[in-house]
Amino acid sequence: MTEPQRYQNRIEILQGTLDLLVLQTLARGEQHGHGISQTIRARSGELLSVETGSLYPALHRLEKKGWLDSEWKVSQNNQRAKYYSLTKAGRKQLLAEQNKWRQLVEAVSGVLEPA
Amino acid sequence: MAGNMLRFVFRRFFKRHDLERELNEELASHIAMDTALRISEGESPEAARQGALRQFGNLGLVSEVTRDQWGLAWLEQALKDFRYAVRTFARVPLFTAVVVSTLALGIGSSTTIFSLLDGILLRALPFPESNRLMTLWELPPQTRKPNVVWMNNFVAWKERSHSFSSMAAFMGLPMNLLADQGSEQVPGLAVTADFFTTLGTAPLLGRTFRPGEFWTDEPREVVLSYGAWQGRFGGRPDVIGKKISINVRHYEIIGVMPPGLELPNHKAELYIPHAIDLNDGRNYSVIARLRPGVSAHAAKAEMASLATNTARENIEMDSGWSATAVPLLEQAVGPVRPILLMLFAAVGLLLLLACANVANLLMMRACDRAREISVRLALGASRNRILRQLLMENLLLAVFGGLLGLVLAASAVHTLKTSLPESLNIPRLTEVNLNLSVLLFSAAVSIFSAMIFGLAPAMQSLKRNVSEELHESTRSVTSGRKVRRALVVSEIALAIVLVSGAGLMVRSFLRLASVDPGFHAENVLTARMLLLPVQKEEYHAEAVREMLARVRRLPGVMAAGSIGLLPMEGTNSGTWYYRADRPDPQPSARPEGDVSIITPGYFEAMGIPMVRGRVFNTQDRTGAPLVAILNQTAARMLFPGEDAIGKRLKVWWTNTPVVEIVGIAADMRHGGVGTPPDPCLFMPNDQQPFPFTALVVRTASDPVRLENAIREQIRQVDADQGIEKFELMQQMVSDSIARPRLEAMVLTAFGMIALGLACIGLYGLIAFSVTQRAREIGIRLALGASKEGIFRMILGDGFRLTVVGILLGFAGVIGSTRFLRALLFEIDPLDPATLVTVVCILLIVSLVACCVPARRATKADPATVLREE
Repeated sequence: MTEPQRYQNRIEILQGTLDLLVLQTLARGEQHGHGISQTIRARSGELLSVETGSLYPALHRLEKKGWLDSEWKVSQNNQRAKYYSLTKAGRKQLLAEQNKWRQLVEAVSGVLEPA
Repeated sequence: MAGNMLRFVFRRFFKRHDLERELNEELASHIAMDTALRISEGESPEAARQGALRQFGNLGLVSEVTRDQWGLAWLEQALKDFRYAVRTFARVPLFTAVVVSTLALGIGSSTTIFSLLDGILLRALPFPESNRLMTLWELPPQTRKPNVVWMNNFVAWKERSHSFSSMAAFMGLPMNLLADQGSEQVPGLAVTADFFTTLGTAPLLGRTFRPGEFWTDEPREVVLSYGAWQGRFGGRPDVIGKKISINVRHYEIIGVMPPGLELPNHKAELYIPHAIDLNDGRNYSVIARLRPGVSAHAAKAEMASLATNTARENIEMDSGWSATAVPLLEQAVGPVRPILLMLFAAVGLLLLLACANVANLLMMRACDRAREISVRLALGASRNRILRQLLMENLLLAVFGGLLGLVLAASAVHTLKTSLPESLNIPRLTEVNLNLSVLLFSAAVSIFSAMIFGLAPAMQSLKRNVSEELHESTRSVTSGRKVRRALVVSEIALAIVLVSGAGLMVRSFLRLASVDPGFHAENVLTARMLLLPVQKEEYHAEAVREMLARVRRLPGVMAAGSIGLLPMEGTNSGTWYYRADRPDPQPSARPEGDVSIITPGYFEAMGIPMVRGRVFNTQDRTGAPLVAILNQTAARMLFPGEDAIGKRLKVWWTNTPVVEIVGIAADMRHGGVGTPPDPCLFMPNDQQPFPFTALVVRTASDPVRLENAIREQIRQVDADQGIEKFELMQQMVSDSIARPRLEAMVLTAFGMIALGLACIGLYGLIAFSVTQRAREIGIRLALGASKEGIFRMILGDGFRLTVVGILLGFAGVIGSTRFLRALLFEIDPLDPATLVTVVCILLIVSLVACCVPARRATKADPATVLREE
């Protein structure tokens, strides 16, 4: 039973940051849902795990808002998958989300380490 | 971006299936890729697949929350709720049928009454700026009841008033229309020049009368109503310029009015110009249009001040008289306003009753469904979700009830419009229909009902504690019991108000119907007409004499006479008459009374007995001493404590004759069964010829068969003379009370529905409580309680509710007395006999309603009941 161990060091994704993570991931090129979750996990040093129950609603929500576009393609290992990509509006949104995140980090740091 | 979104919405809405498939594929591909990844990391295919699935989580939930992002989820959900509700109701067809039909009854009846209210009271009359149209009336010194107008005063008003931009006088007259099939008298209006200008409606074809009053030599022109144009002239456009014979004179058709242009209460096919004759008496209706910026109130005040002046100028005719202005709509519908409002109130109570009943049924059902709802709550359905579901069910019931109610209302309105006899004289009935405002009303009523009947049960369902509910059996459900009992009590109270209102109306009608009108109406046929114009007045008398002589010779005729204006129509000529042997009274203090111009044979034909003296005979003609007969009321008024026979009266009539009283006739009710006899003076047609006449013929058997024979005899006397209408006196008497009869019938129907609903409500409640208390009753029986004891206990429970309801209802009855008094004939709104009867009926009915479940309770076998738990 090694399975439960895999979850121990994971950090819950902050509410509202999932959009940023998804947009940021897609900024490097189109990707499918599975790929996005893998990328986030890998790039966070296995610390961040995206639940499918959060990821897919987020993808569909962002697509509805017009920030993402989607297309069915065949992956390298011959698997049909739905690929998402950033739209123009999505790029703008990403910048906005990044700014917001930086402000939040500064604010939280300010609270944690008073000058 | 907007385009993107639109495409999104479009796809999501219309290509739902594609989307679903796409989502499933997307999620499947995720799992497949994860599986592949795990295999590449060295796991066995089987373990990889398991792991991927576990890692993925709840597939159904993921797709569910993803779908929620598509928007329109509420619609989806509403549809789901809708389907669920339909399925739920399909499982309980009887319950659904009862609820829907109860609602349909409430909504249908209130929609019907509202459509009457809307068409008759609320909607504007079909004239431009119809709220600016006023009717002008004179007010007599004593009664101050609006009276038709003296032409002289009309002219004075027209010249002097500043409140009105135009004013016209008119008089309804039967018009003798000469047609190929013989003469016919059709209703028409003789109008002064500004009549159509005042109404403000342009003709459909041709023109109307030219402006400027006609003092003499009115043009021989006629304007047709739309109905006459269609019915008599085939709607041909070339009628303009055609000549037709009206009252044996040629009139040129100059115009046709559009459909629906008819003054309320003044049916007319033809409009002819009327020359102003200042000597004419108080015969005219007057209509006027308010000048812009002038209020009805100001016009009223000006009329009063104008009348003060005319009263000073014409002491003989106007002393003590005033004048007033009444908005046309108010004047037209005033008489039916109280009854319509009363019906509306009644139907409102009925609707509340229906809602209370449905609420009760739903609450009982909610108890049955308690487990279902608890299970759903426990399985994670949110309270909001369940509340939405329950509201959807209620809405569905309301929509079905509303639709069915609308169907009921449509057929009721159709029936009312087609089958109500004309004799009811309901103004504007033709304008009643199911229009947009009626539809909106019924939609609003449906939603309102859904809110009333739906909220309490829905809240009740949700208040419960889930785990308690699941652990214990349904018998523990007592929440909402108080609400249910309060609903039943208020149902009984509402029923009391309605049933006692109905009872009062029925009693009032029965009393009205049993009034002795003072004559014998059976086997009496009347034929009314306006005599054609003649050179000398005597010719009119001669013509009537000749007609009667011929009719009397017909087989089966027992007596025949004539009278100027028939009884039971609510109209009569009135004037002043007073003793000639005393100084003339002051003009404003002159006694007023009716005048009837009759021929010999009238009293016999009508079966009116003479109290003293003699009837008129053939000797009473021109040249002979002028004679008159009084009724008892007039004799008492003019000669209290004296013998009137042989006394002389001065009468304000053509040529102001002084007449000698030769007889006293028994009182009869001329105006209508419900109005006490007015003083009346009878003068012989041979001495005071009158152009209006109605032959009154008493026959040995069914008089209808004589109609053609009488028509032929009249034709023999004057081939051009048309007849306005034949009517049976019995029918006229019955018509005169047709409205109270209808009112009593409608209210009785409402009362019975109310009683039925309250009864079902009470029965349902008691039956339900017996079911609920089955275990308790079983224990009681097992512990040795007697069956009678159980029976009494259940019965007592229902009885207590009934008594509280009756007491509450009485408060309502007392509150409605002021409202009802105006509608009742010689019956007090708190008539003890009626109220006692109503209470007895209610008690009996409610006891019966409780007996059935009470008996069922005593039949329960304690062993079975207890084992069931």
